[in-house]
Amino acid sequence: MSIVTDLVAASAALRDPVSLSDENYDRQLRDHTAYIRQLISKRDLGSIARDQELLNHFDPSDDSITYLLLLRLQIHTLQETSGGVLPTELLPFGRLWSQSAHYLEVFDRVQVRYIGHEWVQLIESMVLAAQATSKPLLAARLIKDALLRLDPSCAVLTSTHLLLAQLCLAARAYTCALPVLNKHICHIPALPSRASSNSLSIRCAEHESSQSFINETTGLASKLSYRDYLRYFLYGGMIYMALKEWRKASHFLGIVISMPTMGSVSMIMVEAYKKWILVGLLDKGKLCSPPSITAPQVIKTFQSLAKPYISFAQAFERGDMKRLEAEVDAARDIWHLDNNTGLVWQVVNAYSTHSLIKAKKVFAALTVAELQSHTSPSPMDVNGAVKANLASLVVSNAIEAKLAQPQLYSKDTMLRFADVSSLPEASRETKVQAQFEGERQLLEALFGGVEENSNGLGLSEEFIDTIVKGQQAWPSATVMNPSLGRDAGLEMDEDIMGDLS
Amino acid sequence: MDTTLPDAFAPAPLSSSVGYGLNDTLAGAAGGETTASRIRVDEPPKLDLEPYIDNYTGRTRFHRLYLIGTTSTVLAVDALKQAVAEAKSGKDIALYEKAVRALAEVAPDEEGASLDSAWVQEIQKGVRSQTDRLEHELRGYKNNLIKESIRMGNEDLGNHYYETGDLIAASKAYTRMREHCTTPSHVSSMLFKLIGVSIERGDWLTAQSYVHRLRNAQSKPEDLAQNQPKMSVALGLAQMSQGSYLEAANSFLSVSASLGDTYQDVISPNDVAVYGGLCALASMDRTELQLRVLDNTSFRPFLELEPHIRRAITFFCNSKFRPCIDILEAYRADYLLDIHLQPHVSAIYTQIRVKSIHQYLVPFSKATLDSMAATFAPNEVGQRIGLESPFLQELIRLVQDDVLDVRIDLEHGLLVRNQHDLRAEMQTEALEQVKAFNEELHWRMMAAAVVNAGLQVPAPPPAERGWRPDSNDPRFPPPGSG
Repeated sequence: MSIVTDLVAASAALRDPVSLSDENYDRQLRDHTAYIRQLISKRDLGSIARDQELLNHFDPSDDSITYLLLLRLQIHTLQETSGGVLPTELLPFGRLWSQSAHYLEVFDRVQVRYIGHEWVQLIESMVLAAQATSKPLLAARLIKDALLRLDPSCAVLTSTHLLLAQLCLAARAYTCALPVLNKHICHIPALPSRASSNSLSIRCAEHESSQSFINETTGLASKLSYRDYLRYFLYGGMIYMALKEWRKASHFLGIVISMPTMGSVSMIMVEAYKKWILVGLLDKGKLCSPPSITAPQVIKTFQSLAKPYISFAQAFERGDMKRLEAEVDAARDIWHLDNNTGLVWQVVNAYSTHSLIKAKKVFAALTVAELQSHTSPSPMDVNGAVKANLASLVVSNAIEAKLAQPQLYSKDTMLRFADVSSLPEASRETKVQAQFEGERQLLEALFGGVEENSNGLGLSEEFIDTIVKGQQAWPSATVMNPSLGRDAGLEMDEDIMGDLS
Repeated sequence: MDTTLPDAFAPAPLSSSVGYGLNDTLAGAAGGETTASRIRVDEPPKLDLEPYIDNYTGRTRFHRLYLIGTTSTVLAVDALKQAVAEAKSGKDIALYEKAVRALAEVAPDEEGASLDSAWVQEIQKGVRSQTDRLEHELRGYKNNLIKESIRMGNEDLGNHYYETGDLIAASKAYTRMREHCTTPSHVSSMLFKLIGVSIERGDWLTAQSYVHRLRNAQSKPEDLAQNQPKMSVALGLAQMSQGSYLEAANSFLSVSASLGDTYQDVISPNDVAVYGGLCALASMDRTELQLRVLDNTSFRPFLELEPHIRRAITFFCNSKFRPCIDILEAYRADYLLDIHLQPHVSAIYTQIRVKSIHQYLVPFSKATLDSMAATFAPNEVGQRIGLESPFLQELIRLVQDDVLDVRIDLEHGLLVRNQHDLRAEMQTEALEQVKAFNEELHWRMMAAAVVNAGLQVPAPPPAERGWRPDSNDPRFPPPGSG
């Protein structure tokens, strides 16, 4: 058992990082990772790879590197021998599953930065196992916690995010994804060529932005395709839709819709646009135009591909219940084909609420019968159903109003809308204040992201090329542009170069 | 130089000039044939045809007569007979044929209702030879390079085309005068010709731009003073025809009394009073009306020509909306017979009515529907005002369009002014703005990040164009269906 003692000894050296400077700790971790990698790849590992007790020698939180590498080794060996079939030990509640699950709960968030590939692979194997046994929720919970543990800001989009969204949708465990979804994504791992400056940074140090350690160099983020990006936000939007958080849903869909393109439009974007229309109806009661940054030709494509949705929305806007129902019937197959039937029905159901809100703007009080004839000119419903619907809206506070039953039976029930917000002043103010606070924090986070992105863009080759060209053309360009003026060092460099040439 | 000639100097073929005549005049009168044919006035107007038409000279006489003849059922025969006579005294065959056709529809037995083909042929011949002669003369002037002669030659040709109804050729000929104008007064006379043609064609944007050029042309102060009323009139007509009633009112109000009878080929002073008064009523509030219309000394002479407009405005200023609306309604038939006002009567009246309702509600925090109906819908007084009443529907539309800041209480039959909690509204609005800003910021940031990461949706391969379907796009059951 000399290997085990070697490993234990090597890991123990890393247990006390406090006394070390960042640079030293970084070097130690790198050496350690390389050492263990070498150790377990060299020897004949038959015995260790199957040793069920092996992992008990290590503490997953203190020896995160060793533990994960050994875990991977064991999983790997098992998979090789089982020949394509998922070994039962890996399936939920098997030995390795439990150990992996435990690891994901307690791993050290600094040490895993050195073994990002293995970390991502571990998660992927767990997702496979969970899906194979149709228990996506198990994996979803673990991934959510692991993501938040790795990076509490969750601002860098990774393939793991996409997995989480996918699992939560499959498990219908929508709230499970919320802690991650509610954090605003600010970065997408850049191309390796552009991220070159990041590889030099000290991974273990405290970073302002998680972008410095979640990138392709550390392996914590793998290369994403545009589809992954679109799908993450579409799925995120769908999760919010399921929770009826329309505003957030349309925000996510807006990201998908406004995706920059180089000429063509992805089908995912079209799907998102269709949902965007429906969600806009549910949220605002009107046909929302796409985000202002969407390219005009993209909007044109959307509009030609989503015609039934647009005419449906127009019927809704016009307040024409008959036409609305006709539109629903006419395009029944389309809703079904697009898997939007549920949403469409929600829109139809929301129609009465919206018409009531419209009526509230016009009327202070009117009888139920009058309301009915105002909102839908054709008598279509039994009086009782409308009244019940109305009562439920009033009770659920969707509409601030009161129903008054007259003493005489001959008279109709009177609906009286509340004047102004009937909530007590103080509670409303606190609520508004809390909302403002939330938005302020979000704004700060976003500005942080903008700053970093702007720095990143400012250091990109294209940008520097442009500045160089600009300086040659107009020597005073940096003076005129204050944002460039800050990079005094850069300016100096270019001047020297200018002198030389 | 001859390269420009064939187009401009070819004698206008009859068929095309018929086309111009129809489209141009009708577009000018009512914005299209359909509108013109739809408006019918059955009640007798207050105006007398003879004195009315004597206010005008030139081609507008025919257009006005024709419009009255085709709109009013009472005056149809008289007006069209006069229109035929008017056309026959001129040289425009298209107008003549039009008038005869219209008269034949209304009164086939009248003597002018059949086409006088001898006259037509004679005029046609005359026109053609006149065109040839003028062209020939102009060519001669051009050879001699005498600027003044060329200018006058073009002007004569333009006048000739104008009289014969070829408005496009006329405006081309007038435009060609430009380079041969030597004095500011030449320029202004040319521009006035062009404005006249544009007004007749209903080409209001062009008319407006000529007015602006006229204003910028450097002319002597006394000339300017002389031209000002006409300019204001032309500008006002253009603005009114585009529906900018406030601007039109300002233009008409700035017309000085020196206009007199000097612009009879376009407008009479009575028209200035009516147009200015109605546009002002439709667009200004009570203090403005008082200050700029009733107390306006330079506009007073006009108002005195049309005392009922003055009365209507006075009533409006005194918040007596019923008499004001009554007066206007009494004159609706007259205004529908006016060539420039016809397409705008209903719009202007609606605006005045809406403004009246709005003004009526200003002093009240609550108003009963009954008292409002007494002013604005006298035929609904006495009955219970329910949802089916047109007056209530009108109010509902106004509330929905954010014109009135009230809500309707059908239980007590009241209009209740909305109480605003400014603090709460401000907070809600600010919150909404912050949210919208954050969303927009995030969208833009993500778009930048996508570009930075090189993740844009790639261009389609050359084989397929348009959009590409993602075949491997896994689907999920629609959320929210459960």
